[in-house]
Amino acid sequence: MNWLTGALAVLEKDVRLELRTRYAINTLLLFVISALLVVAIAVKNEPLSPSLRSVLLWVVILFSAIAGLSHAFVSEEERGTVLLLQLNAKPSSVLAGKLLFNLMLTFALNSVAALAFWVVIGFQEVDSATLIVILALGAIGLSGATTLLSAIIAKAVNRGPLFAVLSFPILVPLLLSVVNGTRSAIEGAGLDTVTSEVFTLIGYAGVLITASTLLFDYIWKD
Amino acid sequence: MNSHVKEIAWTGSEFVLPLQSQGDSSQTTGVETAYDSIWAAEVPVADPSPLERIMLAEDKLYVVLAVVLVIWFGIVAMLVRTDRKIKDLERRLSDEGLEGQSKTR
Amino acid sequence: MKTRTEALLKSLIVLWMTAVVLAGFLLDIPRISILEHTARNLYFHVPLWFALMAAFLVSAWYSAKFLSTEDLDYDVRASHAAMVGMAFGILGLVTGMVWARFTWYVGTNKWWNNDPKQVMAAVQLMIYGAYFVLRSSFDHNAKRARVSAVYNLFAAATVPFLLYVLPRQFQSLHPGAEGNPAFDEVTDPVMRLVFYPAIMGFIALFWWIYSQRVRLTLLERRLENE
Repeated sequence: MNWLTGALAVLEKDVRLELRTRYAINTLLLFVISALLVVAIAVKNEPLSPSLRSVLLWVVILFSAIAGLSHAFVSEEERGTVLLLQLNAKPSSVLAGKLLFNLMLTFALNSVAALAFWVVIGFQEVDSATLIVILALGAIGLSGATTLLSAIIAKAVNRGPLFAVLSFPILVPLLLSVVNGTRSAIEGAGLDTVTSEVFTLIGYAGVLITASTLLFDYIWKD
Repeated sequence: MNSHVKEIAWTGSEFVLPLQSQGDSSQTTGVETAYDSIWAAEVPVADPSPLERIMLAEDKLYVVLAVVLVIWFGIVAMLVRTDRKIKDLERRLSDEGLEGQSKTR
Repeated sequence: MKTRTEALLKSLIVLWMTAVVLAGFLLDIPRISILEHTARNLYFHVPLWFALMAAFLVSAWYSAKFLSTEDLDYDVRASHAAMVGMAFGILGLVTGMVWARFTWYVGTNKWWNNDPKQVMAAVQLMIYGAYFVLRSSFDHNAKRARVSAVYNLFAAATVPFLLYVLPRQFQSLHPGAEGNPAFDEVTDPVMRLVFYPAIMGFIALFWWIYSQRVRLTLLERRLENE
């Protein structure tokens, strides 16, 4: 209970700060919109195959995520509030709070990206239930993978490019699964066709979040 | 090996199954379809390039040679790197030795 | 005593690998169409992959050991295992590309074919690349060791997913994949006679190079501390 309240306190703090500056959310939104516009201008009115559509959607999401998600721990380091957080909250609550915050961001990111994609490029005969499930699981995997990485790069110099370099290899299994699942969704296939992707994504998020909780202590203590 | 195989190996699409067309099937095993079922469609009809002509000679034995050479060069590269590290260490050791001497004077 | 057994072991490795190369070229093997003599690459290309996996396990093991003991020697071991593993991985990729290019892709000019194992090796190399980039961004030894060990283990957790996801995404030239015969079916008993020793030989070769590097760095450290 104590742990949960700590986590929620960290989350609440981050949400408040975010609402005050709107830094992360604006970065994500602008990235999604500009990346999508570039794609839309480049493909013009050419018909795109389902697999191309799903790849484009996830490339847009991936690049926006990499631009915006490193903020979680880097901001603490930049404001010099790390020590305060170390003193006032348990490491596991800090991780959980940041994870929840990143989860909210990735959910927002994925829904905005999918909506904007639908408006600008279009999905055709999409199975929306499948698409929503894949997007949601993709968001969980994305935040599960990037939260610990954000804590890692907060300790290093020249953080921006480092975050991209560290995330890409870790996100490969996630991307392969979500692209495959999204392609099935865009082809109009039902949920039962993507069960293996769903299980892979659940397992992926589970393993990475578990690994994060096990490894976070080593990063957080100085 | 024998010239017949080479000849077939050089005439474009035929080189896919040189051993079967050779008539000397005693050397072929029972797994003819080992890898051709999926990948046969990938095999083009174009004439092999000069590089391929070399690599496909002697029943593709030179492919194995190329692989072994790649590994050998890789090991040489690692040797050279280790050598350079040792040299660095030696230089530092001799520098420190000189400093030590100058200090004692 | 210890140095003598080590010297003996190393001369054994040299003899062993010489025997593997000789047997690899000289032993008569059954011919399969398309593969023909390139089947002999089983002795040289595939063991590189095993050596990469061994390096990966050694590296992850020492990263975990470092985190639990904070002994910097383990960090040296983890990073050198990754470094030598990376070299073996690059060799595995290049030899695989040469093999496939002149065996299955004659006339196509196709060097990269998105084979699951190829993608997997490439991702593993990306992980190690990222690991070394991360290491280069710290000056402080203990901090670098801790953070890079965490990254190494975190990345290692994703590898089983690659093994599981990739085979369903791409067709494979490797045995055991869908539509391909299993390893047992295509591999003649004669070839196993060379293949298994080759795996042992390449892993031993990895260990030799890796232990050389570790000893060098440990010597360097000792010099710095004196």
